[in-house]
Amino acid sequence: MIVAENVEKRFGDALVLKHVNLRVEPGEVVTILGASGSGKSTLIRCINGLEALSGGKITVDGHDVSTKAGLVAARRASATVFQLFNLYPHMTALRNITLAPIEVLKLPKAEAEARARALLEKVGLGAHADAYPQQLSGGQRQRVGICRALAMQPRYLLLDEVTSALDPEMTGDVLRILAELAADGTTMVFVTHEIEFARHISSRIVFLEQGELIVDLPTAQFFAEDGGLAVPRIRQFLSKMKKD
Amino acid sequence: MRYADFTPYDIVLLLQGLGVTLALFIGTTLIGLAIGLLLAVVHHYRIPGCRPVIVLVTEALKNSPVLVQLFLVFFGIPAFLHIRMTPVEAATLTISLNTAAFAFVVFRSGIESIDRDQIEAAKVFGLDRSQILRFVIAPQAAAFSVGPLVGILVNQLQVTSLISVIGVFDLTKIGNILNLRTLQPFIVWAVIGLIYYLAAKTLALAGSRVEAALRKSVKWGGI
Repeated sequence: MIVAENVEKRFGDALVLKHVNLRVEPGEVVTILGASGSGKSTLIRCINGLEALSGGKITVDGHDVSTKAGLVAARRASATVFQLFNLYPHMTALRNITLAPIEVLKLPKAEAEARARALLEKVGLGAHADAYPQQLSGGQRQRVGICRALAMQPRYLLLDEVTSALDPEMTGDVLRILAELAADGTTMVFVTHEIEFARHISSRIVFLEQGELIVDLPTAQFFAEDGGLAVPRIRQFLSKMKKD
Repeated sequence: MRYADFTPYDIVLLLQGLGVTLALFIGTTLIGLAIGLLLAVVHHYRIPGCRPVIVLVTEALKNSPVLVQLFLVFFGIPAFLHIRMTPVEAATLTISLNTAAFAFVVFRSGIESIDRDQIEAAKVFGLDRSQILRFVIAPQAAAFSVGPLVGILVNQLQVTSLISVIGVFDLTKIGNILNLRTLQPFIVWAVIGLIYYLAAKTLALAGSRVEAALRKSVKWGGI
């Protein structure tokens, strides 16, 4: 379980996250919605330890990310897919995926490669194992990014605006894969602007507004007239997103 | 004393001088690159207190004449510390440190040329500092550094000629000797210059070969 309690994050004078409380149980798909700059990505970066908390506490399966040993264990339990893929440009797709399993999980090379090839096959990139990131399209790179995360066999998948840098067609490819993962019961924390998709795959939706988590509802209720839509800010946000 | 003509033995002298120059160049290059690399890594890890010292020292080395550095090391340090230093020791120390300062700058920008994003990804996937250095930073920084390093080394090869001033019997010193004996400065210095030119050209050629080979094997378009 991922638990965030009273999480606070400051960048200088700016308070980016204000007393955020969030629980993600195994098997859930939790989508974080909110306008740009509302703190969504920062929350993900606090969970995976790329940003230090200014206040409060985050634990992943009980491991406190603000301690050194806790962070190592928490990172072992989760894996992140990034908005801009963040692949290693000097490594092939296969090597991008096998690096951490071999060096961190200490898997034998042959086993790590067999698993990586199976993952690439699953996302339709079986023929591209030896391609370098530069030789791949954005959508293909992001699929490699997803494979790299899955190869760590994480209990939690953290997805930080993974389709924001992709055109609609590539977005479709990536979302299809995420829908399959959700159907398989993968636990996900999903930061996105794809509202329709979020509605389709999420078990819960939380809404961040200027660093405050103002709504946390099961998906059906979030979109219900007497649920999320009863909150003026959410009604406004959803109608705006639909127009775009 | 009568001035003498060139003799066949002068070729041996020239070769000896060239040998000393090359040996000193290779030795100081290896030491210099190792120190430069070490400084770049220390600088990268922001080890407390090290950054300002490294920057100050390398800036001083890059922005003062090598001849002055050589005099400081050969005359200044022994006088100050009451130690003895041979010309070869002083030359090795000076040129090594000078090469290190320039190599440091190249390695540092090689390291800094790498996207922070990738390093964040590596961290999140649980790689530790030394693994990130080895698998993510080093290969990319090395590919980035080869070209500029070759340029620096070609220059450093010429710089070694300064050590003749403190009495090392390098190629330039041999030139001096031949010149005094024959009083044929035009021929002597043309030949000495040509030998330097050939050595530098060979080095540059070897360097661009290495770079080309790297470029060919590095399919990711990093250099």
